Amino acid sequence: MTGFVDLYTEGDTFLHRMDPRVKIVAVLFISVLGFILQNLTSLLILLVLIFLLLFLARASFSRTMFALKFVLRFMILIIVLWPMFDPSGLPVLATLGPVKITEPAIWRGVTSAVRVGCLATVWYILMFTTSQRDLVRALVKLGLRFDFGLTIAISLRFLPTFSALYDSIKDAQKARGLELERGSVLRRGKSYLAVLVPTVVSALRTADTLSLALQSRAYGASSKRTYLRELRMRRSDGVALGVVVAILVVPALARLVFQVPI
Amino acid sequence: MKALSMRDVRFKYLGSERWALDGISIDVEKGEFVTVLGSNGSGKSTLCMLANGLIPHAIKGQLEGKVEVFGEDVLMRSVAELSTRVGIVFQEPESQLFCMSVEEEIAFGPENLSVPREEIRERVEWALELVGMKGYNDRAPSSLSGGQKQRVAIAAALSMRPAMLVLDEPAYALDPVGRMELYSVLRNLKRKHGMTVILAERDPEEAIEFSDRLVLMKEGRVVGAGNPRAIMRSPDRLSSIGVSAPQLAEVAALLSKSLRDCDFSFISVDEAEDEIVRSVLSGSGGGRH
Amino acid sequence: MNLDIRAGEFLAIVGGNGSGKTTLAKLFNGLLRPTAGTVTVGGRPASGRTVAQLARIVGYAFQNPDHQLFCSSVEEEIGFGPRNLGCTDAEVASRVEHAIEAMDLNHLRKQPPLSLRLGDRRRVSIASVIAMSPRVLILDEPTTGLDAAETKDLMAHICKLNREGSTIVLITHDMKLVAEYAARVVVVAQGRILLDSDPRGAFSDPEILRQSNLEPPPVTLLAHRLSAHGIPKDVVSPQELVLRILMERGAGR
Repeated sequence: MTGFVDLYTEGDTFLHRMDPRVKIVAVLFISVLGFILQNLTSLLILLVLIFLLLFLARASFSRTMFALKFVLRFMILIIVLWPMFDPSGLPVLATLGPVKITEPAIWRGVTSAVRVGCLATVWYILMFTTSQRDLVRALVKLGLRFDFGLTIAISLRFLPTFSALYDSIKDAQKARGLELERGSVLRRGKSYLAVLVPTVVSALRTADTLSLALQSRAYGASSKRTYLRELRMRRSDGVALGVVVAILVVPALARLVFQVPI
Repeated sequence: MKALSMRDVRFKYLGSERWALDGISIDVEKGEFVTVLGSNGSGKSTLCMLANGLIPHAIKGQLEGKVEVFGEDVLMRSVAELSTRVGIVFQEPESQLFCMSVEEEIAFGPENLSVPREEIRERVEWALELVGMKGYNDRAPSSLSGGQKQRVAIAAALSMRPAMLVLDEPAYALDPVGRMELYSVLRNLKRKHGMTVILAERDPEEAIEFSDRLVLMKEGRVVGAGNPRAIMRSPDRLSSIGVSAPQLAEVAALLSKSLRDCDFSFISVDEAEDEIVRSVLSGSGGGRH
Repeated sequence: MNLDIRAGEFLAIVGGNGSGKTTLAKLFNGLLRPTAGTVTVGGRPASGRTVAQLARIVGYAFQNPDHQLFCSSVEEEIGFGPRNLGCTDAEVASRVEHAIEAMDLNHLRKQPPLSLRLGDRRRVSIASVIAMSPRVLILDEPTTGLDAAETKDLMAHICKLNREGSTIVLITHDMKLVAEYAARVVVVAQGRILLDSDPRGAFSDPEILRQSNLEPPPVTLLAHRLSAHGIPKDVVSPQELVLRILMERGAGR
């Protein structure tokens, strides 16, 4: 359950070292670019560039594919289903009852799938090269209120703990003969109560102590807070930011203002 | 000025019918290491949380009497203000560490107090050294053992530079190695740093060795106090409050009873060995106090 | 690992955190399955049966009772296990009565379990496992958080169950508890069994215990220190130590 959120792998590539704020902005800009570009060729070029970044981040290809396996399935689903729901354009390749499969529709489906692939991979690169700690700090530095940042950080920190707690409680109830897979929907709902109630109660107890601990460490003492680890932009980060802005602005201008069909 | 002063304190938790503290008057001097002993429900946790202001500010209830910490009435100061004077460590390691790295955890308190960054860095290193966890800065709390987690919790309280540390059954969830690590940190704090410490415990076995004073609590009242040796002479005082007497105390009491001209009182295995060899097994007969 | 547990035994599995003692215990009731080798429960292999089926023979009371309690009354809570086993209402009622009596919970039967004190919650959790009438009862650190009186009380109930025929497996790192109640001690460290003997045998060599992050009871440590003066090393209680010391003294005169 937690592998889904904690994809960070330590490394010493320039992407790992880049200021997390620049990375967040970069990922946002590239995502927007993914929606601005309409041409399949342009999107494929973008995808290749993103894979280049993946390579530079020293991410192993097989691990990436594994992490993105849901995305891959989703992409295949898009390619298969899109033509069934988009009957416009010529030439028509096949007709199955009310469904008309046209060639342009297939290409539009593929384009959409590639777009999804670009977005998912670039976000994966962000998660892969940035620790949760840095992500939260970057968000706070970019303007997120510290309280919200702390809430996110605490949630991420306790995710594995509560996940393990849930598993432990499931075991404890299984040892009392609980069978979660059997029975009608109603019966199963009641069975899950035996696992959910203790989980929620334990979580609330933890939250209670947590709140006391936070207060004991002067949380909220003043609105001005210092931070031990500061995020400082270096020259390389500034350059990267410039490149990212250019990557978005140039095609955006080309497409939206000068009507270049990319 | 005393580190902690309580006069006729009574406290009832909101929604509860019984008094958790039922008339307590107690003083703790600066630099003293006091171990508060009592069974479940004796009021020792309540006492701990009064010492840093969580009661009455964060926990609601009915409070009577006066509680002063380093001369200041806890009613007059917020928990945040008191946190620079009193640090607290709870019994569950898991629920008092909420940051993603040890360093962040320890820095959290000073950060909230707007301490300048350089000083925070110094405090973090100082605190890590004190608890014997130098170099653990970037470790995630979830990767630590129970004993290590509790030591980080102590460091996180110490980085606020309190003059007094309060620990509420810190060894609760720990295995023997964790307990040993924890108590050696406490021993260090006492011997090398002269910090005022209030330790609430159910099992006095380790703590008697370096406590200046034991306070016995039962059902919200203080039913006895004294230095460890004096208390250990009558282990049934401990059983009467529901606390198991340390085995060494039982040995001392039984030996003293059997050899009527002797009066033994050991608070450590080393001491016990010396005493027994000298007085009993070498045939010299007389016991020492 | 090779281990045999006979009916009616009172056995303690000891080890520090991470020693593998909990993993071992979870193999007994099917919560974990062996990567290699076989687990046989009640004469038949455990591999064909689900955890629910094995729960009829092997009951497991978890260390944190709050991980098992969720009903609105103690009676209902204790009845949860038997209901899962498919017992009729009459059977459930009778098993609940038996468990309530065994753990002395009559005065609390209508209360919500989660509102009780820790010692009582532990007893409810154990009662809810007893109600399934298992032949083997695994107790994971049952005395954590209990004071001296509550510990004595709980262990008295457990001993009674043992006398009545239940096999008790105590998982703990409290060596004082082991010294006082267990007939057989299995020391586990790093996934291996280091020692399998009675408490005296287990305590005679502190080095073995230390390999598993455990310490013998203080009284045993003292006995070791005094062994040069004729005190045997396997002393487990203060009374025994004093007796031995006095005997040596008498012999020395």
